[in-house]
Formats: sequence, C-alpha cells, structure tokens
Amino acid sequence: MSTDFILYLLLNTALVLLIAPLFSGLIKKVKAWTQGRQGPPLFQQYFVLVKLVKKEVIYSPNASWVMRAAPLVNMAAILVAALFVPLVFVPEPVGGIGNIILFMYLLALARFFMALAGLDAGSSFGGMGSSREMSFSAIIEPTTIIVFAALAIVFKSLDIFAMFAGSLATGTLATPTLILIGISLFIILVVETSRIPVDNPETHLELTMVHEGMLLEQSGKNLALMELSAAVKLTIMMALLINLVIPAGLALTLTTAGILLAALLFVLKGSVLAVIIGLFEASMAKKRLFQVPSLFAMAFFFSTLIIIIEVLA
Amino acid sequence: MIAEIFIVALLFLLAGFIIPLVVRSDRRILRTISYGCTIFASAFLTTLSLPVLIGSGTIMFPAYAPAGLFSIGFIIDRLAAFFLLLIAVVSFCVALYSLEYSEHTNGGVRRNLLCAGTNLFVLAMVLVVAAADTFSFFLFWELMAAASFILVMYEYDRPSTPRAGIFYFVMTHLSALFVMLGILLLWFESGSFALEHLAGTPSLLATCAFVCLFCGFAIKSGIIPFHKWLPYAHPASPSPISALMSAVMLKVAVYGLLRFILDVFSPELWWGVLILVFGTASAVLGVIYALKEHDLKAMLAYSSIENIGIIFMGIGLYVVMETSGLPVLATIALLGALFHSLNHALFKSLLFLTAGSVIHATHTRDIEHMGGLIHRMPVTGALFCTGSLAIAALPPLNGFASELLIFIAFFTSVTIVDPILKVFLFLCLALFALTSALSAACFVKAFGSVFLGMPRSQESEDAREMPPLMLLGPGILAAACVVLGVFALQVITLAGFAVPLPDLFLVGLLLLMMLVLTYAVLFFTSPRTFRVSETWGCGMHFQEAGAEYTGHGFSEPLDIIFSPLYRTRIRNERQFYDEHNVIFKAGAAEIRLLRVFEEYLYLPVARGFAALTRTIAQFQNGCLDTYILYVFVTVLALLVFLGWSA
Repeated sequence: MSTDFILYLLLNTALVLLIAPLFSGLIKKVKAWTQGRQGPPLFQQYFVLVKLVKKEVIYSPNASWVMRAAPLVNMAAILVAALFVPLVFVPEPVGGIGNIILFMYLLALARFFMALAGLDAGSSFGGMGSSREMSFSAIIEPTTIIVFAALAIVFKSLDIFAMFAGSLATGTLATPTLILIGISLFIILVVETSRIPVDNPETHLELTMVHEGMLLEQSGKNLALMELSAAVKLTIMMALLINLVIPAGLALTLTTAGILLAALLFVLKGSVLAVIIGLFEASMAKKRLFQVPSLFAMAFFFSTLIIIIEVLA
Repeated sequence: MIAEIFIVALLFLLAGFIIPLVVRSDRRILRTISYGCTIFASAFLTTLSLPVLIGSGTIMFPAYAPAGLFSIGFIIDRLAAFFLLLIAVVSFCVALYSLEYSEHTNGGVRRNLLCAGTNLFVLAMVLVVAAADTFSFFLFWELMAAASFILVMYEYDRPSTPRAGIFYFVMTHLSALFVMLGILLLWFESGSFALEHLAGTPSLLATCAFVCLFCGFAIKSGIIPFHKWLPYAHPASPSPISALMSAVMLKVAVYGLLRFILDVFSPELWWGVLILVFGTASAVLGVIYALKEHDLKAMLAYSSIENIGIIFMGIGLYVVMETSGLPVLATIALLGALFHSLNHALFKSLLFLTAGSVIHATHTRDIEHMGGLIHRMPVTGALFCTGSLAIAALPPLNGFASELLIFIAFFTSVTIVDPILKVFLFLCLALFALTSALSAACFVKAFGSVFLGMPRSQESEDAREMPPLMLLGPGILAAACVVLGVFALQVITLAGFAVPLPDLFLVGLLLLMMLVLTYAVLFFTSPRTFRVSETWGCGMHFQEAGAEYTGHGFSEPLDIIFSPLYRTRIRNERQFYDEHNVIFKAGAAEIRLLRVFEEYLYLPVARGFAALTRTIAQFQNGCLDTYILYVFVTVLALLVFLGWSA
C-alpha cells in the first residue's frame, strides 16, 4: 500500500466527516426558505451532534447487544463505503477498494444492522421502520444494479476510482447516456438517503416514517452515530453523482494546491446539488407507501433504457 | 496411500451404519460410536480431498466389474475432491451436533436408526461423488434417495410426516427416473457407461440425454417448478437431517449437473440460457416464497431453493460464456457457482442446526411464537446472526464473496457480441440483485422475529441455552463462514485461479479499524454511563409482546408489492335471518394462500396419471378366462408378426 493511498484514506475520511453535516444542514435550510421559514442555522447539525454525544444513552430493557453494536457497525460500514468514493483526490486503486458492487453491499451491511436495531427493542414503531426500509431497499436494488452495470459499460471498469478518472478524461457531460445515468443516480440518492417522496426525514409520524422509525429507540451517542452516518451516506451518494457527471477539478496527483482547489470546488458543487435536493423535496409531496414501488418501477425502466441504448449503440 | 485413506473412510461410515443396527439396545454409547465414525470418516475425507483440490493429481481406483458391461469404480479428481470436502466438512459438524441432539429427542431405540441412517446417507453421497462411471453413479444415486427417504420418515408418528415423506419419495424417484433415462440415452449414444467426452455438436440423442439429466438434477436440487418437496420434507425431518439434505444433498445434484456438463457434453448456447432461466426463476421465486413463510424450517427450505437458483445461474452463465468464446469469464462464473455451493453448504447447515436448537428449546417451528431468544440463548443467537449475515450476502462474509464472483461475471458479460443476449443477461442481473436484497430482508425478519424483541409465548420465555456440543458444531461452521469470506481471494488464489476479486481481507481490516476508531473516539468524548428504561409504548405504561411487530407484519409491505405472485383465495360466506340480508346470522371468512405449483401443476399431473393407471387396471379383472384370452391373443399376434417378418 503506497503512502499516497494511506494519505487518501485519511484525507477522504476526514473530509467526508467534516463536510457531511453541512450538506444535510443546507438541505434543511433550503426547505425552510421555500416554506417561508427562517430554518435552523446552517451549522445546526454540528451542534446537534455535539449535544447528542454529551448525553446519556438509554436502552430498553428488551435491548440486547444488537442495539449496542448496531450504531458502531453502521458507522464503520458507512465510513468504509465512503473510502470507495473519492471526494477530491483519486488515487491508484489498491486491493479492490473502489469496487462498485462491494460499495453497494457495504451500504447493505449498514442497513442490515440498522434494521435489526429497529427490531431489537420490540417497539412496534421500530419494527414498522425496519420492515419498510428493508422492503424499499430490496425493490430499488434492481435499479441500482442496472445503473451500476451501465456505469461499468460506459467506463469499462468496475472500479469507482477508474470511473471518476475516465469521466475526468472525457470532460463534463460527455454523453447523453451519462445524463440519463445522472438522473437515475439522483433517484437512487433520494431513495437511499430516505428523502421525500419516498420517506420524510423530518417527521416521526407513524404514517410517513421509514428511516426515522428505526432510530426511535436510539439515544445519546448512538443517535449521534446514526445521524452522522446518515449524513455521510448522503454526502457519498452526492459525491458519486457529482464526480461522475461534473468531475472537473478532481485531483489525480497529491499536491496541496490541487487538493485545496478540488475541495473548494467539491464544496461548491455539493452545495449546488444540496440546494437542488432541497428544492426537489420542497416541490414534492411524500408519496403513499404503496405508490412508491411504481416510482421505483419507473426508475427501473429508465435505467434499463440506458442499458439498451448502450448495448445497441 | 491416499487411496487407502478413502477406503478407510468408507469403512468407518459402513461401521457407523452397521453397529447401531446390529446391537439393538437403547444406549448412548452406541450412538456416540456411530457418530464418532462419521466424524472420523469426515476427517479422513478432508485430509484426502484437500491435496487433490490444490492440484496433486487425480486418484484412480481399479474398477470392480462383476459382469462385462457393468462396473463399479471410483475416481477422485479436483471436481470430486471439492464436493467431497463439502460433504466432509458439513457431516463433521452435523455429527458433532447430533451427538447431543439425538439424546434430547424422543424415540428410544429408534434413535439408533437415526444415526445409522445418517451414516448410510453420508456414505451414499460420498460414493455418488466419487463414482467413476454412469452406472455406479446411478446405483449410488438410488442409495442416496433411499437413505434420505428413511431419514425424512424418521418421525413417522407425527401427522404431517407421512404426506411429506410420500411427496419426497415420488419426487426423488421422478428424479432418479430422469437420471436413468439420461444415462441410458448416453449409453445408446456412446455405447458405454464411462464418463467420456462427446466431442462436436451434440446429436439429437445427446441433447435429449442432457434434457433428461437436467430434469433429474433440477428435481433433486429443488429448482422451481420441481421444488415442492423441499418445503415439505425439511420441516418433517429432524434438524440435523434437514441440514445434511439442504446443505449437501442438493449440492450432490449440482455436482451431477456439473460433472455431465464439464466432462461429457459439449454444451450449446441454448443449454446455458435454459439453465440460467430456471436458475433465475428459482432464485427470485424462492426468496419471495421464503419471505411469506413463518415456519422457520420451511423458510430455510425456500431460501435453499433461492440459493440453488443462484448456483444454477452461475452454471448457466458458465455455459453461455464458454459457448460465446469467453473462457476467462466462464471460469469466473463457474468458480462463483462452485464457491457458492460450498458457502451455501456452510451457512445453510449452520442455520438449520441453530434453527434446530431454537425449535428444540421453544417446541414450535412458528416464528410468531418465538422472540426475545437472544437473552436466553445468546451463543445460538450470535451463531444464527452470523449465518444470516452470510446468507444475506453481506461483506466480508463468504456468501458475499461467491455472489460477488457471479456479479463480476455478469458485469463483464458486456463483451458478448449478441445484443439480445446482452439485454437478457442484464435482466437476469437485475433479478439477481433483487434476490440478494430480498434475502437480506428475509433474514432480518427471521433473526428479528426469532431472537429480538420480547418472547411471544411461554415456551420462548422459558427457553434455555443448548449444551456445548450443540454449539460447537454450528460454531465451527460459523468460523468457516467468516474465514472463507475474509480470505476468499487468498483461498481462490491458492486453488490456482486468478480472479479480479476485491481483497475482502483488506475490507475486513478497514471495517475493524473504523469500528475501533469510532468506539475509541466515543469512549473518550462521551459519558460512559447508560440507563435502562422502558421503551415508549404509545402511552401505555408497559410494553406488551402482543403489540410487537410480528414476522407477518414485517413482510407485509413486500407481500403487497408482490401480491400478483402470491395467489390468495378469499372466501367470505354469510348467512342472514331475513331475505334482505340485513340481520346477520352466521358466517365464515378465510384468506388462503394458494399453493400455485401444487394446484396447477402437480395435482393435474398426478390426476392424469391416476386416470391412466385406472384405465390400465381395467385389463386386470381377476378372471382366469380373460387372462387365458390375453395369452392366446399374444401368441396369435406373435405368430402373425413372425410370419410377416419371415
């Protein structure tokens, strides 16, 4: 393992942890503005995390080691998945880090433990959340894999690193296929990060909640981990979309100036995307639970279209 | 030397079969000796197969030929060694588990039959895999079918068992019939029972032979629509037997298919597509039916159907790639199928054994009556959790490693020229991804309903942890699941194949690092005290198990999404006192899940055969005069025929 790669591991993890709460804060802010509210301060997410870490943890008497382990495993899996998506600097891949299928399944690992934690306390809210989360994640999976397969065809590699490098080489918005993939990735982002119209990240009402339902039993530092991991997941899904569609500025070599410029550009691009997500959420209503699959079916046919275009072209 | 080890292993199994039958007394020592024989034989088989697998050369045995054409011979090449290893590892752990399990079941001296049958069953499977020609293959195939039938019928006094047993008997003999037909057709084609390669484009006869063999192996391995015996036979048989049948016997059928495809036929493209279609259908439907099950063992049986489907997808992909001239991808797909066979054997036997412990502790197979067992059976819970993680294909465990190989083969199949075939492969890929995600949902449901939350019955409340031996067997399997996952790349490299598999050891290491790091940061920044307090119960003072989310509830969203696949029949009958149907008198309502394959496929076929046999039975009216008439007509017909041909 080269020093470059070790530096990449440190840099990417630090950056994603630092920047993640900002993006989710920004989305909240944008939504508040569109609704004519002031909204929480931009850095509110950071304060919330610090507050939660300082608080005591409360466990249900029914809770087992699953409840205690799940936040840690969840966070670790998401952090390792974050290593698969370079934010600012693309190193040479080592030992299959960057494999897009492995990336997908690391997210599944995090989700598996989160769903188990939802069931652990025996509360009906947690069970409801777990059940819906696992159902949705299962039926979006064909779409995700087809989009990833389309990416693999376009860039002739299974490696996210190579995809980013390839996208950087061909320039921005190179092909119509890439735009189609961008739209599909956006839908996947919305589903994976539990946003409107699939889920509502703001409420704890039993009619709307999926992701939040699973977290209802979490408290203190465990809740902080869950919130932070959700924010990190949002950031890496955004990074995947940004660096594939508008890769300009990504650093291929490790120079201080290049990294700083890339980081600045990334924050800028990410903020624009966060605003778009915020506006998208504000303009949508939460879909009824059993109307969501039809949205997924649409996304699936859309992504199959990409494959057919790519294959027959 | 190595040849002798094999004979010794066979003798051990034979001894394990004979001893408890000959000495008919209900003593523990007999059963211990018998299972001890299985354990020793398994250890010998492991030491025998490992060097062959790494590539020390094929072991041949001189064939025993009592009568010209028919001979019985053994040969252990790398393929056979791989499946011998699979059989040995699983039998080893199952025998360890059974040492204790058989003492906790009722049945008195009948339990001797259980361990004798187990030995015979393992022996038969070893012999099938080691068979050198098609004749001995079929002979031992029948022995395997008979031994497993006895074991399925072991608890014959339970009301549901005879039906399950008969179902299994019919299906398994249908399989044997097809295999026999295939072997006979091959004999017509090549003129011998040897497993020799048929070069060139397959003739019509060879194609028919392949179709017959495919049907035979598909029935035995539970490919949809021939799968129906699995969810009946598994709940009926004792848990160690379910583990053996699901983990090993289905793989012996996979071995059969692979042996004939690799060594005998020169497959064509459409064969691969056929295998792929059946594999994909089984994978998707298997897991969708598994989601609906609330009988723990039937659920595991359906999940076996799903995994066999995945293995068949790998085999089908191999054939497609091979015939499209892509040997590198073909090797990846084949490795994926083989590796998944081994991995499924490990985690499915692990799950069946731990499920057996749970069922033993709670006296029910219904997951709705379990819950909260993780506090009462912590080790069993952790083992079941490992199995669930592996079967849900989560990194860095072994189930993921083998599915990843098949995924890689699918992803890189873009180099195939034919666009229609490419689109077809991508559709299979999408369904494969769906399968794997649904199985994650299925095992969240299984682990969650069985082990988490609150106990939903008194038996679950009183459940106790199992004795050490019943934890050791599954424990070894769980360790194997982790090791084969984390070191997947290294193991495959050791076997001499270069595959573009990510290094899961590195991923595991990173996961561990992140885990430790997160824990350390929180350890120093956050208060270490915690409080235990009631879960919020919507305003209730205390939580009730009845308000908990059940297994049924858990799979409800998926039930509704896939409702076109679950055919239900709703019956709603009401009677009223008056003619305007206003004053309600009595009524009955029922929502019944239709057994689609049974009602639309199995029963019509069975009825057809019954009608046919009734027609034929009319000729046998029990009257001597009629029979003399038959003889007379036959002689007359013969005379006419001979005169004609002369």
